[in-house]
Amino acid sequence: MSIKIHQLEHVYNQNTPFSHAALKGIDLEIPEGKVTAIIGQTGSGKSTLVQHLNGLLIPTAGTLDICGYHIQPLLKIKDVKQLRKEVGLVFQFPEYQLFEETIEKDIAFGPKNFGVEEGEASQLVRDILPVVGLDESYLDRSPFELSGGQKRRVAIAGILVLDPKVLVLDEPTAGLDPQGAKEMMTLFMRLNREQNKTVLLVTHDMEHVMNYCDHVIVLDHGVVKQKSDVKTFFEHPEWIVNIGINPPSIIRLKMRLKEAGFDIPDEIIDEEGLLKCIKRQVKIHE
Amino acid sequence: MNNIALGRYMPLNSVVHRMDPRAKIMILLFLMIAVFIPAGVWGYVLLSLFILLALFLSKLQLSFALRAMKPMIWMMVFLLVINVLVIKTGTLWFELGWFSIYSDAIYQTLYIVVRLTLMIIMTTILTASTKPLDLTLGIEKLLKPFDKIGLPSHIIAMMISIALRFIPTLIEETQRIMNAQASRGVDMENGTIKEKVMAILSLIVPLFVSSFDRADQLANAMEARGYNPMQERTRYKVLKMTGIDYVGLLASIALLGLCVVLAVVL
Ligand SMILES: Nc1ncnc2c1ncn2[C@@H]1O[C@H](COP(=O)(O)OP(=O)(O)O)[C@@H](O)[C@H]1O
Ligand SMILES: [Mg+2]
Repeated sequence: MSIKIHQLEHVYNQNTPFSHAALKGIDLEIPEGKVTAIIGQTGSGKSTLVQHLNGLLIPTAGTLDICGYHIQPLLKIKDVKQLRKEVGLVFQFPEYQLFEETIEKDIAFGPKNFGVEEGEASQLVRDILPVVGLDESYLDRSPFELSGGQKRRVAIAGILVLDPKVLVLDEPTAGLDPQGAKEMMTLFMRLNREQNKTVLLVTHDMEHVMNYCDHVIVLDHGVVKQKSDVKTFFEHPEWIVNIGINPPSIIRLKMRLKEAGFDIPDEIIDEEGLLKCIKRQVKIHE
Repeated sequence: MNNIALGRYMPLNSVVHRMDPRAKIMILLFLMIAVFIPAGVWGYVLLSLFILLALFLSKLQLSFALRAMKPMIWMMVFLLVINVLVIKTGTLWFELGWFSIYSDAIYQTLYIVVRLTLMIIMTTILTASTKPLDLTLGIEKLLKPFDKIGLPSHIIAMMISIALRFIPTLIEETQRIMNAQASRGVDMENGTIKEKVMAILSLIVPLFVSSFDRADQLANAMEARGYNPMQERTRYKVLKMTGIDYVGLLASIALLGLCVVLAVVL
């Protein structure tokens, strides 16, 4: 079942002098089993939007249908508690949510909150560690003695262990080195391909959007500026430039080549195609 | 949590905003003393007029200042109940079986409420019209004379400004961690005692960890720029008292004197 968002609006501090409309009239349908990127400048409302998906925020107007839940204004938070198990939300810098003495206890914290028995929870933890690339030797270690990247893996394991159907990631690779970021993205792709999880990815990295995602949603000042599949999106570089985001390097190269007089069709957005195109035109020129 | 009015700076353009922070702090100090002098009804009328004038000059809304009082309302109600039950002097105003209300109980409560209200409005005017950094600079300059008796005025001011600077950050961080833990099924409101303890731990521990991290980073960043608290420092911003500052100071001293006279005469 896809996620349907209809005329969703969110106003922070409504009815106070500090009231601020962070989302206005959002209409979206997010397909099941795909990887969808949410991009936009800082403050455009990305984090606000994704916090609606697991009921952390309730819309001030409009509706949201997700995993069989119908969310509308004035809904009580406790009515949507079980939704948090279906929709796993990983916040930016999730390593700051670790608090237990051992990694095992920390990862088991989520399942226990949802009523899973001690023994079963501990088995779930053992099953999830290899998924994030850690082994059982970590179980009894303190999460605070790990490196930054490892901490983040433990924190993500703490969400994955709930086996959510929808995985929402708010800038999951921020602050990681390129290698760590790549491994992280590979992990999410595997969860999408092998377990058919719907993945939503908030990111600033256009290379990630281009290489890993199926669909793109562009937010700008709280409204949806653009929604399309990834291929169409990158065939229109002006869409990206318009919202002040740096396109991926291959698109930048293509734009430079076009400026220099090369004739490159819109649909070519990969290295090989670009190379062929250049070769052909250089040959004609000679 | 973002709508706390107490201590929030409001960027407006008014005479009060332009005043020297030292003058404003001293005026607040004088008025605070005046509030505690038992100068009778007329004393409070004068004080209220003065404070309302300051509020008007600062272009702040009365509702903004009063919003800071919201957390106090329950305390005041509690106070009223205690006073009514305990104070049995003055004239009897109301009686029903064992329950009775005497005039002094109401007067006493009213006095405290008026004092609290005046103090909160005064403090709100100061913090809403003075940027936190200017405020600490003012405090530092006023504490300067105490350097001679070994009071590290600069260090105290630096500590205050760092604390003020990080209040919004901490509020934001708390919200973020609460959200992150709620995503793991934590329910801060409902649950057994054990679950509640875990819920609070899951908030407090990360908050401490990130605060210590941040303190570490801040210390490194300051040292990397050559910060040394013992060094004599020059300022980009030099405070200068102008006419309005002296007028304000004189007026508040006069008011304080008047309150003292009223208290003695009455
Ligand atoms: N808790 C909050 N209270 C008030 N305003 C907020 C809060 N969180 C975010 N905002 C405001 O909402 C807007 C969107 O913020 P956010 O969703 O965090 O954007 P993004 O994740 O795209 O950077 C911003 O203008 C931000 O200042
Ligand atoms: Mg964000």
